[in-house]
Amino acid sequence: MSEKGEVDLTGAKQNTGVWLVKVPKYLSQQWAKASGRGEVGKLRIGKNQGKAEVEFTLNEDLTMIDSLGDKPSGVQAPRDHPFTMQTVGGQTLAVFTETQSGKEQISLEGLVVQRAECRPAVSENYMKLKRLQIEELSKPVRLSQQLEKAVTTNYKPVANHSYNLEYDRKKKEEGKRARVDKQQVLDMLFSAFEKHQYYNIKDLVDITKQPVSYLKEILRDIGIYNVKGTHKNTWELKPEYRHYQGGEEEEEKETND
Amino acid sequence: MASLGGSSSSSTEYIVRVPKNTSKKYSIMAFNSGDKVNCSSWTQARMERDMSNRRMYGVEETEEGAAGSEFGKKQREEARRKKFGIVTREFKVEDQPWILKVNGKAGKRFKGTKKGGITENASYYIFTQCPDGAFEAFPVNGWYNFVPQAKHRTLTAEEAEEEWGRRNKVVNHFSIMLQRRLREQERGPDDDDEEGEKGGKKKKKKGGRGGDLRIHDLEDDLELSSDESDSSGGEDGDSKPKKKEGDVKGKVKKKKKKKRGSDSEANEDSDDGDFEGLEVDYMSDESSSEEEVGEEKAKSNKEAVPKGIDEASESEEESEEEKQNEEEGKEEEEEEEGKKTPVQTKKKRDSSGESDTSEDSDIDGEAASALFMKKRTPPKRGGGRGSGGSSRTGSRPGTPSIDSASTSNTLRAAASKLEQGKRQVVGGSSESPAAKRLKMESSSTAVTTQSPAPSGKSTPQPPSGKSTPSSSDVQLTEEAVRRYLIRKPMTTKDLLKKFQTKRTGLSSEQTVNVLAQILKRLNPERKNVNDKMHFYLTE
Repeated sequence: MSEKGEVDLTGAKQNTGVWLVKVPKYLSQQWAKASGRGEVGKLRIGKNQGKAEVEFTLNEDLTMIDSLGDKPSGVQAPRDHPFTMQTVGGQTLAVFTETQSGKEQISLEGLVVQRAECRPAVSENYMKLKRLQIEELSKPVRLSQQLEKAVTTNYKPVANHSYNLEYDRKKKEEGKRARVDKQQVLDMLFSAFEKHQYYNIKDLVDITKQPVSYLKEILRDIGIYNVKGTHKNTWELKPEYRHYQGGEEEEEKETND
Repeated sequence: MASLGGSSSSSTEYIVRVPKNTSKKYSIMAFNSGDKVNCSSWTQARMERDMSNRRMYGVEETEEGAAGSEFGKKQREEARRKKFGIVTREFKVEDQPWILKVNGKAGKRFKGTKKGGITENASYYIFTQCPDGAFEAFPVNGWYNFVPQAKHRTLTAEEAEEEWGRRNKVVNHFSIMLQRRLREQERGPDDDDEEGEKGGKKKKKKGGRGGDLRIHDLEDDLELSSDESDSSGGEDGDSKPKKKEGDVKGKVKKKKKKKRGSDSEANEDSDDGDFEGLEVDYMSDESSSEEEVGEEKAKSNKEAVPKGIDEASESEEESEEEKQNEEEGKEEEEEEEGKKTPVQTKKKRDSSGESDTSEDSDIDGEAASALFMKKRTPPKRGGGRGSGGSSRTGSRPGTPSIDSASTSNTLRAAASKLEQGKRQVVGGSSESPAAKRLKMESSSTAVTTQSPAPSGKSTPQPPSGKSTPSSSDVQLTEEAVRRYLIRKPMTTKDLLKKFQTKRTGLSSEQTVNVLAQILKRLNPERKNVNDKMHFYLTE
């Protein structure tokens, strides 16, 4: 659905101030595991001798790190995260939201008044976490592995067995394609040409299921074979049979019997 | 919310929540600090995705169904692409840029392009404070850098490179965009109806810029590049105000033509005393040629031609109207004098026009216009060259003869006469109505006041040929003839040259007649020098 439309400017008008905080990946992963109302921790804002100090403390229950692989990580996420406060500078950063469901509405939530970076307090836990991360990242994406036994299951047959069967079956089924009445063939052709103007002979054979020579004869009656410049050599209906504005009408196509 | 008291620090704790409901997706809209965007000043805004990158599959190819299509074309095309390894990127709507329109149609427009890679290593969260004091953190889904979109016309890269190469030659930069508009006009008259109108309007205001280009191109050959760089340097600052004045001037004098200001502007643009020596010139009677050119101007359509004529026509207009309205002319002169350059450049053009005025006046009709135009433009350049060159290189005598172009009005003619001594101009210029002489006389006073300025500026102008003190009024009187003949023997031709029709205000026939009468009265002695009959008097 295309999003368009009015932007709800209430946030901008009220000058709602928000903080833009850069959060480490592992922390956001932990936050995603939060349950209930989504409480993830506490933010302590203090003024220590004139300087503002902001610190985030992760909730206890969110400190378990899941690791990929089989063994449990045994690593705990650090809990204390002081925030580094930064100014926005001259840049204007606005926050807007889009609602996805049903009616799509873009609204301006507010302006960024403060930027911050969430840094983990350096601790043993953090070091272990980092080591874990590095280990995971250092694993190569591709792996060379030595096999003990040679692979014997992929030999190539001379002719594809299933393909062979299919081919035989096809032959049996169609065999010599039976020539049906010319009129029927013509009907088929006309309806085909209603859909597209140019056809390859192979496609026509496929559609009509007629032997090629028979089909060609009929085509020679009602159609022309043109080289067309675009490399394919295609068949199209003769002009007198054509009626390509809007729909085609069968009645307009005369057939000579 | 728990408050902890500390000794020297006080802090408050807030609960941080990361809401689970994800109905809203948060994104950052980043503006450049230089753009000074104030969101609170927006009254209304519309934002939508920019879908211009979506390549409709099949749009570029033949239509589906019915006429013109082939059976299985799509599949075949796709198979071909796969064979050649052409991979078309999927069109993702979420990655498309935003188009933000603020304050309606007349307001600003911004384009917001998605910044990649912000969620790769770290996540951004938006912390907002809730009424209950707790913080809520929302993850940022995308970061879009919004840049304002220029509403004014810009040049494409190729055009910009072209113009860059010509930057030293082009005096008037406004012409660049105007020409582009004109070009577009020619290409697409349907689409460019609006633009055409705009172009037309602008034409009225600004006049043919192309003409400027023509002239100045040649000036390069003269190695006057320093001039131009100065002028182009100075012009930018000057051109705007001067353009307006040019407009005003043009409006004051009912313009025949739409294109007007540019020339005067161009003149004004070239400031800084670059054209000191250029005053010069052949301020011949331009009105005749101007009139004719004026007609042709009305009809000329093509770029080259109109632009070529523009200056000519403008100067024509000016001269014509000055003829009609002397006072206006005076004003104009004074205005120009105030700026120095306009007069000079006009004079420059005048000089270019001088020599050919007689010829020009004889040419009639449109048929001649083309020829005339061509003649005018190169000569004009030559004239410009000449006037510029004369003051510097002293190669004046040669140039006037090339000039055709604009003919100035009597005022300018008079002024130039004041400055230069003798000029080798064909005396037989057609127009010299008595009225003109009158005007010239009456305006001579005005001219004299102005003349010191230009003449002061004119650097050593090599006297052409015989040195005669510049006399303000050259009347074909017995006294004057006597003076000449006493000084040295002269042929009738020389005498005629002395009394240029432009100065005396007489037609060639009249001049001849009057001169003959005078000679009869004086009855000078004859002497044959170099197989030519010379007259002289002894006193």
